[in-house]
Amino acid sequence: MSDQLRPEDAPPSLYDDSGNPRFFADPGMDRFVAVVMNLAQEVWVQEERLIALEEEKSGQSIDRPKIDRDAKAKEFIDRVFAPIREA
Amino acid sequence: MSVELQHPMKAEATPDEVARGRFVSGMRSLILNDLAADMRSAYERRAAPAFAKEHGAEPQTSREAHQALRGDPAFNIYSAMRVQAQKMVWASVADSVERETERLVAEAQAVSDLDGSLNLDPALDVPKNVHAIDVHLMPGSYTRGEDSLEAGAVYDRGLAVFSMGLMGANLDDIGLSMSKYIKLRYPDFAPTRILDTGCTVGHNTLPWKQAYPQAQVHAIDAAPGPLAYASARAKMQGQDVAFRQMCADDLAYEDESFDVVWSSMFLHELSKKQRAKCFDEAYRVLKPGGLLLHMELPPNDQMGAFDGFYLDWDSYYNNEPYYKGYRDERPSDLCTRAGFGESEYFDFVVPSIGIYGEKAVAEAATGDRAEGVGQETTGRLAEGVMWYGFGAWKK
Repeated sequence: MSDQLRPEDAPPSLYDDSGNPRFFADPGMDRFVAVVMNLAQEVWVQEERLIALEEEKSGQSIDRPKIDRDAKAKEFIDRVFAPIREA
Repeated sequence: MSVELQHPMKAEATPDEVARGRFVSGMRSLILNDLAADMRSAYERRAAPAFAKEHGAEPQTSREAHQALRGDPAFNIYSAMRVQAQKMVWASVADSVERETERLVAEAQAVSDLDGSLNLDPALDVPKNVHAIDVHLMPGSYTRGEDSLEAGAVYDRGLAVFSMGLMGANLDDIGLSMSKYIKLRYPDFAPTRILDTGCTVGHNTLPWKQAYPQAQVHAIDAAPGPLAYASARAKMQGQDVAFRQMCADDLAYEDESFDVVWSSMFLHELSKKQRAKCFDEAYRVLKPGGLLLHMELPPNDQMGAFDGFYLDWDSYYNNEPYYKGYRDERPSDLCTRAGFGESEYFDFVVPSIGIYGEKAVAEAATGDRAEGVGQETTGRLAEGVMWYGFGAWKK
């Protein structure tokens, strides 16, 4: 795949030498943001496993409504990423 | 938040894969709602005043708003996170698609005898904009896996995560909202042949068959894999549609052979030259009294500098190279240059039928059709989304 199709008015400074978009003065920060997101995703996967185990243990998965995972995920994301709201 | 597909080709995802998809949908919601609002606030508080100090006036265009925001902390974090979330959309479905290759083939085979058709053209020269870049950062783009079901499955499953539930349970909210709007606004219009151009997996094709069950519905795309998937998907949902591999700027249909030529989120994927030819071809194949209708993002000349930049962002950072060029064009010019009369052109905004309900669509169809054009929620995949459309009647 080529990365050479770009908008006509896109200055080359928007991209690194591999054609990836760059935003921060230190290119390491762009990658660091991605690492933090990946890491949070993996923590969330573990969280869902725990929720499932707890539901199983308490019998919730059979005779009671399951925990609202979408709402839990939103709470988790809001909590973890709260500091970036200060940008 | 993440949608479960409504047909047998949906993923048999592991609990971990479901969790990953849910997380990505949640991240996208944070980015497109909260961080987008933070970026707007930073633009108004910092970036636009700083630009004005340097240039003597606040940004007047999308390009100037972009220039003002580059380097701002809120822009940086929004953008870096949006790029990564986009990559995570596709990554979250890649494993299940790879694992289920054989099952997908079997599911498609099981419905192969149902009504509907698929015609691929191995000799077609698939345009560069379809295969040469990872469009919207989707690995392998629309031609991944050639004519197998792979690209369609990645797109369909990815869209379910990407859409955060805002594109409908069957990912067809755009088609449902728009076809309902047309049916209510023009109750005497009774198309018998409808063409969807650039249909990908046909998710916004099927609503036209549902709105006009008596009509023959045809759908084309340049990429073979998504079409193969679209055909199976349509059959699974009981819809008789003729899918054919073809470019919208070179239609192999006779003059004056369709009552509707439709597309959704398609025009921005074409170069300016291809786009102009698409309009010429649509005009040619429409019957007198036929309707050209496109759902797209609203054009820059209907938006302020920041809102224009917000939608143009994809052009620079989401591998949508023609997005800004498209939005810089005027939809009315695209129509009139192809031969449609100025007085036959119209544009409108439809509230999402899934979010606002049929009554809101009916009110839009009988009210002021320009109402809502240029509103902040128009064209944005965020809470309160409204769909922008335009078209013209052929006399």
